[in-house]
Amino acid sequence: MNLGRRSFLQLIPGAALAASGARAGWAAGEPLRVGSILSVTGPAAFLGEDMKAGLQLAVEEINAAGGINGRKIAWTFYDAESQTQKALSATRRLISQDKVELILSGGNMSGIALAMAPMAEAAKIPFISSEGALAIVTPVAERKWVFKSTVDDEDVLERIADFLEKKKIKKVALLADSSGFGQGAVTQMKKVGPRRNLDVMYETFDPADTDMLPQLTRIRDGGAEAVICWTVTPAGVVFIKQAQQLGLDKKTLIHSYGFVSPHYMNLAGDAAKSILLASLKLPVGDQLPDRDPLKGEILKLFKNYQARFNRPASLYAAESYDAAMLAKEALIKVGGDVSKLPEGLEKIKKFAGTSGEFTFSPEKHSGLSKKDIVLINWRDGRFNLVDYD
Amino acid sequence: MQTGSAALQLLVAGIGTGSIYALIALGFNVVFKSTGAMNFAQGEWVVMGGMISALLFASFSNIGIACVAAVLIVMMVGILSERLVIWPLRRPNTLLITLVSIGLAIFTRSLVMMILGKKPVGYPAFSQTATLTVGGITIQTQTLWIIGLTLAFLVIMHFFFERSIIGKALRAAAADRDAAAIVGVKVETTVMLSFAIAAFAGALAGAIITPLTLSSYDQGAMFGFKGFSAAMLGGVGSLPGAVIGGLALGLLEAFGSFYISSDFKDAIAFAVLLLILFVRPSGFLGRADVVKV
Repeated sequence: MNLGRRSFLQLIPGAALAASGARAGWAAGEPLRVGSILSVTGPAAFLGEDMKAGLQLAVEEINAAGGINGRKIAWTFYDAESQTQKALSATRRLISQDKVELILSGGNMSGIALAMAPMAEAAKIPFISSEGALAIVTPVAERKWVFKSTVDDEDVLERIADFLEKKKIKKVALLADSSGFGQGAVTQMKKVGPRRNLDVMYETFDPADTDMLPQLTRIRDGGAEAVICWTVTPAGVVFIKQAQQLGLDKKTLIHSYGFVSPHYMNLAGDAAKSILLASLKLPVGDQLPDRDPLKGEILKLFKNYQARFNRPASLYAAESYDAAMLAKEALIKVGGDVSKLPEGLEKIKKFAGTSGEFTFSPEKHSGLSKKDIVLINWRDGRFNLVDYD
Repeated sequence: MQTGSAALQLLVAGIGTGSIYALIALGFNVVFKSTGAMNFAQGEWVVMGGMISALLFASFSNIGIACVAAVLIVMMVGILSERLVIWPLRRPNTLLITLVSIGLAIFTRSLVMMILGKKPVGYPAFSQTATLTVGGITIQTQTLWIIGLTLAFLVIMHFFFERSIIGKALRAAAADRDAAAIVGVKVETTVMLSFAIAAFAGALAGAIITPLTLSSYDQGAMFGFKGFSAAMLGGVGSLPGAVIGGLALGLLEAFGSFYISSDFKDAIAFAVLLLILFVRPSGFLGRADVVKV
């Protein structure tokens, strides 16, 4: 239902630009060749499988509705096996052999997407990344063809700073893992912290760490009133358990959006009650106020994803699903002319996806903002909305 | 919080982690004694111990039975690995066995991933009460279990090697294969036995640490690396060396990350490791080989 409404709205700019599309020589009916690279094996596989499912659902939905401007999607998928080298040779194959016109998702690891971005740029193939690092799309002058559907760490930290301000907390600790994901947050916090008058202490841990007591003891002795943990690895469970052990659960404990996983919450057991998570809205989609533009989109994704894959939709599935839907939206804006896809994307304003409300511009190729982040907790076996705005 | 109790907290944490490293290092040392080679599949058995325990716990919901059964299963895997991979080697030499063990490690990891899955798993601690507060510091009861079980295992191993006939046979074969063979020790069986003990020690480490840290198929390399370092530090091939090396590494990591910087936790531990090995190339308790010409 919802899809039908949106398709109708999109017809208007679509029709206006149809002429230019026809001039560029695309033939209606000829399939649109789309390529994707994700890691469905290797350490990042737990993300990759959901992201692949998200894309698959998006492609099937688009094709069932007659494709984009009459062109159905022919989808080529390669497994990057969590290895940058494998992803790069797959990218080469997508560009030179499969002659794809558009790339969605880059290996579900920031490191892989970062390596793929210059290749897509050089080949002038639009690339919508569903990976996190801001450097994938910056500097924009060198990334004319690259966009991303994920939230920026800086926005998440700004949102957390808003929350801390509300709670009148000044002294915080950032406990980040030593991966690119964790250290990226450290770099951003060094900008956000001073701007928001936060007194930040930094601690690091290895994703393979089995013991964080030394770091946590230091944080406790340092007098931090809130602890922000930044990781996607199981070490985050160790953090939750050991923070409780040291009595830090009486402080404000916040996990980043990288840790929003029911599986991790179950593993943390009773200790999971003590933490908040800065997350996109998806996990609490049904608890959002009705005025939220995302609510309908999220509930629709929940229903269709559950029906198609027989498991609940995750954030990761939403990010790749949105990448595909953004491509569709942008293509309709430029009348189906793939060579103008970047222009189309830059025209997207306040587009309600499932992971957030996207606004791109020629200066900003990363579409989400801090408004897309909410604070949630884990109670009674599900995520619950704590702080909406 | 006073610095004194922080130090005590770190001491307990360091001994807990160190115990795990000691168990893994013991596995390295036992196999080294019988083959002269490093067995890099050691870390994978740690993961297997944790993941099989979790699987069994999910079916039987009794932690004790799950862990014991898992450790025994992994011991069988160790025996099977030796029979299938090491035993058939025509002319086993140390380099060949070491290389084969790397292959075995990769194979084991893939097998664990395919059969037991990619998701990290865990189960509750052995005791109902999760933490104790003693003298101003908080201790996880599981840490006490880890220290206690490691100690018990080491004592049993000590008596096994010193008193039992099989243990003596193992030591004899390690000291001199040919001489041991002449007096009737089946040298090839002792290799199999050493793999069984190594797998047992690894799986035990995995089963007791999982309630604290969870277990996932890709942690094996890290465990192997730490255990290997502990074995080098203590002196390769020495049973007390494994204990000293393991504890030293665990404490170095805990205190290094607290008093210097958590950014360099592993770097500090390994810098000290290198320094010690410069001064004592055969580790704390290792003996340099004397070769008569």
